[in-house]
Amino acid sequence: MITRRQLMAGIGASAALLPLANRVHAQSPFVIPTYGGTWAKLWEETLVPEFTAATGIKSQIDVGLGKDFVSKIRAGGTASPYSVFMGNENIAATLRAEGFFEPLDLSKIPNAANLHEGLLNAGNNGLRGIVSPIGLAWRTDMVETPPKSWTDLWENSEFAGRIGLYQIGNTGAQLFLRLAGKLFGKGDTDIDTAFAKIKELQPFTQASWSGEVATALMRGDIAIAPVDWTEILTLQDKGAPVQIIVPSEGVLSYEQSFNIVKTGDNKDAAHAYINFLIDPKVQSKLADVFYVAPANRKSVVSEKVSPRLPIQGDQMSKIIRFEWDSYVKIAAEVADRWNREIG
Amino acid sequence: MSALAAPVPMAVAAPRRRLPVWWMILPALILLGCFLLLPYASILVMSFREASTNAVYGPGLTLGHYGEIVTDGFVWGIVWRTLRTGLIVTVATLLLGYPVAYHLARSRSRWASLLYICVISPLLVGLVVRTFAWLIILSNSGLANTALKWAGLIGRPIIFLNSSLGVTIALIHVFLPFVILPLLGNLQAINPEVAMAARSLGASRARTFFKVTLPLSMPGIQAGAILVFVLSISAYVTPAMLGGSQGRTMAVLVVQYLVDNFRWPAGAALAIFMAAITVSIIFVYLKLTARAMRRLP
Repeated sequence: MITRRQLMAGIGASAALLPLANRVHAQSPFVIPTYGGTWAKLWEETLVPEFTAATGIKSQIDVGLGKDFVSKIRAGGTASPYSVFMGNENIAATLRAEGFFEPLDLSKIPNAANLHEGLLNAGNNGLRGIVSPIGLAWRTDMVETPPKSWTDLWENSEFAGRIGLYQIGNTGAQLFLRLAGKLFGKGDTDIDTAFAKIKELQPFTQASWSGEVATALMRGDIAIAPVDWTEILTLQDKGAPVQIIVPSEGVLSYEQSFNIVKTGDNKDAAHAYINFLIDPKVQSKLADVFYVAPANRKSVVSEKVSPRLPIQGDQMSKIIRFEWDSYVKIAAEVADRWNREIG
Repeated sequence: MSALAAPVPMAVAAPRRRLPVWWMILPALILLGCFLLLPYASILVMSFREASTNAVYGPGLTLGHYGEIVTDGFVWGIVWRTLRTGLIVTVATLLLGYPVAYHLARSRSRWASLLYICVISPLLVGLVVRTFAWLIILSNSGLANTALKWAGLIGRPIIFLNSSLGVTIALIHVFLPFVILPLLGNLQAINPEVAMAARSLGASRARTFFKVTLPLSMPGIQAGAILVFVLSISAYVTPAMLGGSQGRTMAVLVVQYLVDNFRWPAGAALAIFMAAITVSIIFVYLKLTARAMRRLP
């Protein structure tokens, strides 16, 4: 049986190791937040080694969702686990409003000069470095008249009861909601009109993320849905009877916002990482793997993938964008209203 | 010089002070204190913080979140759905699990070990994988609906997904071992001679079961029921993946508040509110079942 003295000695020894633990923490590699699945695989196997080779910065990935990164940065208080944030622009806007970000130092991000218009936020408050356009996708064997416009969702009776939409926790739902306000109301902040129009589409299937939309399409539970090219081209690669178009009004887009975290301890590495990620070659690689639209004007999409990506180069102007910094104030209220009124 | 050496006084070692037994649980207490009670305290404090759109939460304190919750019919609707789901899952797992536990406790067959593996099989696969399997089985064109249609029992698919029905079915599957295992331990501890004595005195099999075996297995039923009820009402992955908006439970709503909407103070209040309801129900349940067990012969 251990004595009290032995126990106290053990505790003392543990306490003595704390400074060592702090030193280890200080030497810890630069942490890169990224998403799971094929994203994590690409980062781990290709992008992180290339980033280290290009900059000499040792790094490791942390897998999660943008919302998880928000929670960790918030919980970190004055010591964020990340120096760089990646997440959809509407999610980034929340942290920005709370003062967790600082403007980018563009002298450390030369590639930012070649970003497409609209991808560098005003005041250099973050940039959108990975662009996944969202169009209208449908099952070719379940739909006779393919859609041409977003309004076809309301007007083509063939789609009634067979529509899939994102659940409000997903950025896709917030984009679609604001699009409905823009199409049918006074503008994208006309939330009342947006809710009224979306209710007209009921009953519809809700999905928390694009993979769920894809699964619902494949099961035949839905025939049409707003979803990103990444998901649909991946389904096509597997032989699925699905097609996606650029609606006449333009496309929506998941835009991964990259920001410097004020409470992070490795901001130089964070700038270097952002610069690396929007490099033309890296953007081409991302387009090849995820079918995203290159954010860098100098990026060239491979001949194999290019014909399947209608939104690239000059066509990037077809992306319908919304301002999120002011939307933050009503975001929680809108989400709550969706839960109560839409379900 | 005398060969006899002066007697050396024997140093009588003073008995070493031994640590009291409670020191042994100190590491566990520290662990619980640091990683359970402190976060709980933090959540409790946060639940009284004001909301803010330019900070994680505001500097002031308020009872407003609790006021909104207790007067919100929407929240009460989800509380009721959560408790109803937990109750149905608990009763169903008891009804399904008791015969299995009884059989396993009495069986001397070599096949019993195979049945035992079947019982714990839901625990051998990851929760997300299991739930995804249910997603495929319960979809409109999934195995369940296809089989029911093929048998001519239904004309249109039953809506399992995006409802409490699918969540309930999947939770029953997931939590069945949690009622069987405590019951099994309890039933195995019952001396078979007690039932034999009842039989020898003329009691029928059914009477012996209801008057002897079932009452003696009440501690196992009590433990299994609490375990399954608590796990069911706090389950997140299964309701989140199968329930959609129509099968949403409190755990899902709390996560939506905290993670989707970034409303930490309101989400914290919601979590504390649900925890208080759960503790109250368990307290009443324990009181009632303890009283019932005291009345047993």
